[in-house]
Amino acid sequence: MSEPAWLAPDSLEEALRLKAELGEEATVVAGGTFVAILMNQGLLTPTTFLSLRDVPGLAGVDVADGELRLGALATHRTVELSPLVRERWPAVAVAFAVVASPRIRNQATVGGVLADADYASDPPAMLTALGARAVVRSVRGPREIPLEALILGHYTTALEADELITEVRVPGGAHRATYRKFRSRSHEDRPCVGVAACRRPHELRVVVGAVADRPQWFPELCAGGAEEVARAYAAAIDPLDDVRGSADYRRRVIAVEVRRALEELAA
Amino acid sequence: MSDPRATGAARYAEDVEFPEMLHARIVRCPFPHARIRSIDTSLVPESCVVVAGDDVRDLGRYGPQIQDQTVLAVDVARFAGDPVAAVAAPTRREADEALPLIMVDYDELPAVFDPLEASEPGAPLVHETADVSENEAAYFDMRPQAGTNICHRFRIRRGDPEAAFARADVVVDETYRTAGAQHAHMEPHASVARWRDGRLEVWTGTQTPFNVRSDLARIFGIEPDGVRVVCEPMGGSFGAKTFVRLEAIVAALARKSGRPVKAVLGRAEEFQTLNRHPAIVRVKLGATADGTFVAARIWCWADTGAYADCGPGVVQKMGFAAPGPYRIADVWVDADCVYTHLPPNGAFRGYGQMQSTFARELAIDVLADRLGIDPLELRLRNVIRDGDTYATGERLHDCMYGECLEAAARAVRWDAGRRGKGLALLMKGMQTPSRGEIVIEADADGGYTLRCAAAEMGQGAWSAIRRLAAERLEADVAAIRFPVPDTDAVPYDTRTTSSRTTYVMSRALDDAVRDLRESGGRRGHGVVDIAGGLDPDTGEGVASHHWHQGAAACELRVDEETGRIEVLHLHAAIYAGRVVNREAAELQNEGSMIMGLGSALYEGISFSDGQVANANLSDYEIPAVNDLPAQLTHELLEKPGAEIHGLGETALPPVPAAIGNALKSLDVEVRELPITAESVLDALRPGVPA
Repeated sequence: MSEPAWLAPDSLEEALRLKAELGEEATVVAGGTFVAILMNQGLLTPTTFLSLRDVPGLAGVDVADGELRLGALATHRTVELSPLVRERWPAVAVAFAVVASPRIRNQATVGGVLADADYASDPPAMLTALGARAVVRSVRGPREIPLEALILGHYTTALEADELITEVRVPGGAHRATYRKFRSRSHEDRPCVGVAACRRPHELRVVVGAVADRPQWFPELCAGGAEEVARAYAAAIDPLDDVRGSADYRRRVIAVEVRRALEELAA
Repeated sequence: MSDPRATGAARYAEDVEFPEMLHARIVRCPFPHARIRSIDTSLVPESCVVVAGDDVRDLGRYGPQIQDQTVLAVDVARFAGDPVAAVAAPTRREADEALPLIMVDYDELPAVFDPLEASEPGAPLVHETADVSENEAAYFDMRPQAGTNICHRFRIRRGDPEAAFARADVVVDETYRTAGAQHAHMEPHASVARWRDGRLEVWTGTQTPFNVRSDLARIFGIEPDGVRVVCEPMGGSFGAKTFVRLEAIVAALARKSGRPVKAVLGRAEEFQTLNRHPAIVRVKLGATADGTFVAARIWCWADTGAYADCGPGVVQKMGFAAPGPYRIADVWVDADCVYTHLPPNGAFRGYGQMQSTFARELAIDVLADRLGIDPLELRLRNVIRDGDTYATGERLHDCMYGECLEAAARAVRWDAGRRGKGLALLMKGMQTPSRGEIVIEADADGGYTLRCAAAEMGQGAWSAIRRLAAERLEADVAAIRFPVPDTDAVPYDTRTTSSRTTYVMSRALDDAVRDLRESGGRRGHGVVDIAGGLDPDTGEGVASHHWHQGAAACELRVDEETGRIEVLHLHAAIYAGRVVNREAAELQNEGSMIMGLGSALYEGISFSDGQVANANLSDYEIPAVNDLPAQLTHELLEKPGAEIHGLGETALPPVPAAIGNALKSLDVEVRELPITAESVLDALRPGVPA
């Protein structure tokens, strides 16, 4: 066994070239919070790291064409504290602010939390409810993937082996959104149930995170009163069991927290 | 002032370095119980040294109280994580890489994981025999039950409670379970060993240098003087760094390799090294209609895991304080320390008291409810006062239980309505018998050097002892030196446990200062010997030279739709006798309360077929700063002329019980720790479908 290789390209072009060359062989690292846990637990033994930390231009938070653009390397803390995000997309700021502790949020990135596709994360559900899209690039060119089509299951995304997430675009326009993180244990725990809801003039989206292998969104159930939608979601979702709660408990909490989220939107 | 612990300048056992030093990793059995068929090390590079069963087969057996341990598992491994081999390599990375090259072939054996099942006749035996240790930590009579997994049975037999229950108007009989817990000390276990001229030298984070020394001497067949233990300061311990942990393994590797060897545990390995005893406690308590307690029977089953460690001592203390600080004429206690095929359980801040306090104090509130008497009033009617006789027959003095309880109740405005509020009272023994010594040397520059075995683990022992010495010597604290304890240089001390150090060393210092003055002013040697002990079959004797006394109160609210608990106010009232270092004492109280909050709400080691299922600090949750109650308050009760009372643990054990009782006031009956949101919701709305 030899020391894993550490590749730290200093341009996006070089990063994409390396990703195209190495494919799945390259373990992409941004903040490292996810990769470090897997390595510590012996679940991941990378041979080659592809660090994005030196790639310029991917850490921005700004607005273009009325959309919020979060660079893949923007940290959770940057998003949480951004006056722009707080003012115009406050629910996004909340969904990043409730993750773990400041020390983790100073490290963990927007691209990382999407690409790791861990079921027990907060931001993916909120970004899905807001209709966000991930911009992904490869040497073949860019494409956009709607968030609901990005995360496919446990640690599985729709990214091709040569692709990197470079940005997330969150639509603007009139909307009200909320994120409710239900923790069954410590404040710094991952969510037991995360409920994201966003109401736009002609659409309501409710997305429940941390209860199944991917964020749960049922467009056909997003009509009706708060109580009705909540009951429908609790019935439709087949929750998993983990240290934060049994499937049965999660079902009960989904019914409560979805209703509360919708009541918040209505208030 | 910059604290070296904050700047990174502090040196811990992990920082000890020697030229040519090797780095060790441990091969652990993946099965909860297995026969070791073979160990193949042929793939390991020649730069590495491996020790396995055959290397340690002829070494001495050890253990602080029961001699049930070998340096590595010999022929049989008894829990998932039991060390079966160890490898030392020139670098940590090479040791990591050599680890999977050691091939061990196992035959799985039947295993038992529950202390009640393990107590049944016919249960798979964890050990065939239970020989009482010769270590000085085996300070009381042990009662292993031959042919069973019970390695110690402690009993109190005072009066005839079953007859007395007939005179009671109300009898409650309740059973409670508490989970195992991890100390979650920040600094992991770390030890370095070196052999020089036939002597073994060990640098290690330990609370028990002299117990480690005697077990190492026994293992390697040398005199205790042939072992030197340097007791490096620790980044937290809470009981985890007591008795032999890594020291024997690094010593065996150092002996075989002829080079110094260091080992540092990873976080997951901590969960396989030492945890807190999971326990089942049944409380039967009777009272007359006016609220007078007439009789109690208490049964404790504590799971000590695959090796007894100091489990017999933990269980004895769990048992002897289980009746609590109440006047009860007829009391029987049966406390069993039971082997299972789980990782060993041992000392943990509170030392068995959290488990029995939780059960007893919840049962008292159940009794109060049945009697229709306010829980505070019921406790005050029965609380022990000066001159009362305890269940062990000892007469109690300096009793402040009632005052602690009333102070705690006042803090949460008990008289303004008690919905969402709970109280709990604690008595906890100090290590008895016990011996402490200290030497004061006058230095040429007018300062003094203390030779003292007290371990520093962040609790501030060294600063407290320096302060006490400065007072007695009428010197500036800065002129009092406290070198790192080294068994070659310091006099004997029982160990730094059971919140005894400040108290014992204050008395040893009195004696040392007297000796210094009487013998010419160059050197003073102080000794304090504390006598006592209990008959394990009747519980008669002196359980504790003095008692740690405290109460906790809490106010909380519950989200009735999700079961989530929000603790609004947590208060501890602790009897300090006399406060030595107020800031350190306050931090001890706060730390204990926060650890108690963790035990109450979050912390529990979960097992799946004998494997720790949450051996990391993401799945195993400890409280974070935002989990603290809006009000986290405490007070240190003092009394003019009173002696110093230890307080390093006192505020932990009553916290889960106070929280449990606050839930009871909201009609949520709790019988198990940790109290999860899910269990609260189940208690509030059993079976309500979504």
